[in-house]
Amino acid sequence: MRFRFCGDLDCPDWVLAEISTLAKISSVKMKLLCAQVMKDLLGEGIDYEKVSKLTADAKFESGDIKASIAVLAFILSSAAKHDVDSESLSSELQQLGLPKEHTTGLCKSYEDKHTALQDKLRETSLRLGRLEEVSWRVDYTLSSSQLKQVNQPVVQLKLQTQGAESRSSETTVVSVSADKFRVLLTELKQAQTMMDALQ
Amino acid sequence: MAAVLSSVSDTDCKKLCHRVVDSLCGQTPIHKQILSCSNQEWLDLLNFLTSLFHKTVAENHSEDKVLAELSEAGVSQSGIVLDVLRSRKEEIRQSLLDRTLSISSTTLQDFDWQLKLALSSDKIASLNTALLTLSLDVRENGVLKPFSIELNRKELAMLITSLENANKVLLQLKG
Repeated sequence: MRFRFCGDLDCPDWVLAEISTLAKISSVKMKLLCAQVMKDLLGEGIDYEKVSKLTADAKFESGDIKASIAVLAFILSSAAKHDVDSESLSSELQQLGLPKEHTTGLCKSYEDKHTALQDKLRETSLRLGRLEEVSWRVDYTLSSSQLKQVNQPVVQLKLQTQGAESRSSETTVVSVSADKFRVLLTELKQAQTMMDALQ
Repeated sequence: MAAVLSSVSDTDCKKLCHRVVDSLCGQTPIHKQILSCSNQEWLDLLNFLTSLFHKTVAENHSEDKVLAELSEAGVSQSGIVLDVLRSRKEEIRQSLLDRTLSISSTTLQDFDWQLKLALSSDKIASLNTALLTLSLDVRENGVLKPFSIELNRKELAMLITSLENANKVLLQLKG
């Protein structure tokens, strides 16, 4: 069987196994658990104390708790990754043996946060460097040891960036002559126009 | 030194002067090839011409002053030297401006950009995000250092807004 929420592939065995673990807690509790996992996926953090309270009734051990969080995270993020609508997700999860009430709860959370989750996934996709801050200063050079009368403006540019690998930011300071600066700005604007035309 | 210069033909003298300007403007250094003289004489001549060209443009000397300096040194082909100077003054000035710009700072040598549409990623199957890679060749103490950054629409807009503000100041200075 191929499933859309798995990217038109077979459902991984571990997911299949842990879906039955999910069925052990009540549908209401699972919906609340789902909300916690969704929060985690959206980068808002997960409240583990709440999670252990939610799963206390079903006498979950820590392994079961971990497994249920993992399986919910997989289902939600994978469905969002492949842009599956909540109805299809609901029918596929029921085919995999998740009870109907559980499925409804899960799909409700998914439907509500579907767009936000996709935005988050888009945002956290691989990027080779990001621009964090730009600072500039325009100087007017009057004279120098090389040339008595310079009288030329020069732009000092500081770019604060985040590298591809490290999370720490780097700064690059560069001085640009007025002519080069104009060319840079014009070309960046051209690129922006093309970028806008893409969407 | 002046004798060495006088010993060559006018064409060679002109050629030599142009070579000196070339090397002053950061192109290939000149080799002793046209003249037959001792190394010391060659170096003296080179230094004399280089500093003459440099000083004349740097301090914006008048042609009379250049002529006076040439005759003081006993150069007979002052007309040719002056011709070369006249025709390449702007070029020398531009090179001195570049040198001024690179005094104790890193300078932008060149830049290139590339616009890409990111289609898919491990996180999301249909990403469809436009990304601009901007690559800057930054010269620091004579060494070229590449620097590149990827910008999305928002970051590019931020960069352009910032640069436009700086450009406004540049335009005011010009006007």
